[in-house]
Amino acid sequence: MAGTLALTKAELTRLLHNRRYFIFTVAFPVILYLLIGRQVNTKAYGIGFGAYYMIAMSTFGAFSGALNGNAQRISQEKKEGWIRQLRLTPLPASAYVVTKVLVSLATTIPAIVIVLLLGRFYGNVHLPAWEWPVIAVVVWFGSTIFAALAVAIGYRFAPEQVQPVTLIIYFIFAILGGLWFPLSGFLGHVGQFTPTYEAVKIGSDVIGNLSVPVGLPIGLVVWLGIFATLATLAVRSTAESV
Amino acid sequence: MSQYETVTATASGSWRGSGGPPVVSFENVSKHYGRLKAVDGLTLDLHPGETTALLGPNGAGKSTSLDMLLALRKPTGGKIEMFGSDPYHAVKSGRVGAMLQSGGLMPEVTVRDLVELVTKLHPKPEPVATTLKRAGIAQFADQRVDRLSGGQTQRVRFALAICGKSELIVLDEPTAAMDVETRRLFWNSMKEEVAAGRTLLFATHYLEEADQAADRILVINRGRLLADGTPAEIKARAGARRISFRLERVDEPFLLGLPGLVNLEVRHDIVQLQTSDSDATLYAILDGGYRPSEIEVTSLGLEQAFLAITAEDDATNGTTHAGETN
Repeated sequence: MAGTLALTKAELTRLLHNRRYFIFTVAFPVILYLLIGRQVNTKAYGIGFGAYYMIAMSTFGAFSGALNGNAQRISQEKKEGWIRQLRLTPLPASAYVVTKVLVSLATTIPAIVIVLLLGRFYGNVHLPAWEWPVIAVVVWFGSTIFAALAVAIGYRFAPEQVQPVTLIIYFIFAILGGLWFPLSGFLGHVGQFTPTYEAVKIGSDVIGNLSVPVGLPIGLVVWLGIFATLATLAVRSTAESV
Repeated sequence: MSQYETVTATASGSWRGSGGPPVVSFENVSKHYGRLKAVDGLTLDLHPGETTALLGPNGAGKSTSLDMLLALRKPTGGKIEMFGSDPYHAVKSGRVGAMLQSGGLMPEVTVRDLVELVTKLHPKPEPVATTLKRAGIAQFADQRVDRLSGGQTQRVRFALAICGKSELIVLDEPTAAMDVETRRLFWNSMKEEVAAGRTLLFATHYLEEADQAADRILVINRGRLLADGTPAEIKARAGARRISFRLERVDEPFLLGLPGLVNLEVRHDIVQLQTSDSDATLYAILDGGYRPSEIEVTSLGLEQAFLAITAEDDATNGTTHAGETN
């Protein structure tokens, strides 16, 4: 466990020096919120637009941070042999993946906190005190499940393939999940099954004082199961080529 | 085949004296990729304190064997033990330090940060300053890992292999990216590790390295062990000397019966033969009533010995090489 923590600490230090990560996870959602977030008299998902967009943008930042950074890094580190090098140390075999997920859990936090603060002080979103941590946790869980998908992609694809693959997934889950704008009609119907939609909808139902349909949290757990299975299969099947 | 067995027997005889259970043992280990036999029934023991070179051409199965020893690949058949346990648990116990050709480094950090990190992963760490000094990387410890030259990178990899107090060090082509001077420094520091009682196993295709650094050489080709002995024994095994001369009316059956003969080639009136005892071979030719001309006796280096051993094996078993996968 001490080894896993040492590696996690080293990974976090590396990340602090990485500008790309901040652009994807923090800068994009903050800029979008500043441009679009403050619309008075507009409603989405039954709540004020500013509140909806606050949840959507924090989910967007956190989810793209979990997906983009990790997949690329894992694939690169696999290609360069760093994963192989770690397998020669006393660090347990699972520690590398555990570390990547732990780092993801930590790195999605700034995007969530910053966008929520922006919603409160720029978007004038007023909520009862208890709702803030609930929303933060929902967004955090809904986005960090993508860390598992990033592991699957990083192990499966070569670095030059990772970029297009993550980009496609990124657009699908951002648009269908209603992160950039609320969807209606057919796409809105299909989008209801995405984890990004589920996370945003749970958050907006909490704000709208609606009872959260039990299908939404169950949906998130199912997605976690799917992504974790894909990750496990990818790690296992590439064990001899890493 | 019988000759290989003879040499193997003498060689293992001389190693049995080192005492204690083997550090590493391969028992009939194979690794097949479909029909390709990368490693084919390898059996060997490494004993504490030995420096052993694994010598073989590209595709001989050296890297695959080391990968299996280090639990990176699973054997198709047979059994590998290290320190009396399976390879995975032996590696995780920190009793082995390894450096592979394919091992990479974490980018974006300094050399010192990286060595500190890997040192922390060890149950019995060496002080970081000691490792930096031993690996000869102290002077560029504050540089970023991704901005080093090939030789410097190789030395950092070496540092990661020795940053714990491991009993066995495994190196795959350790000096591949090094210049002559760095290579010399490397072997000097390696000798210190061995003097401190560590067991060393390294794969190489630099024959002079195997000759100078190793107590014992394992020659492998096409996934099989061909010879096992001290550098001197390996040279003797291949026929330590080559005799060549001209002789009219060559009597091949007579030549094939010469004492010490290992290999014979006759082209017209030119005879070339390899022998493990050049004196006896030559006297027998003269005693047989022959008067060859232009006699030359040359001693074979390890390189020729190695080539002779593998060429003989290829001739007996076809020439397709098993692919070496990294």
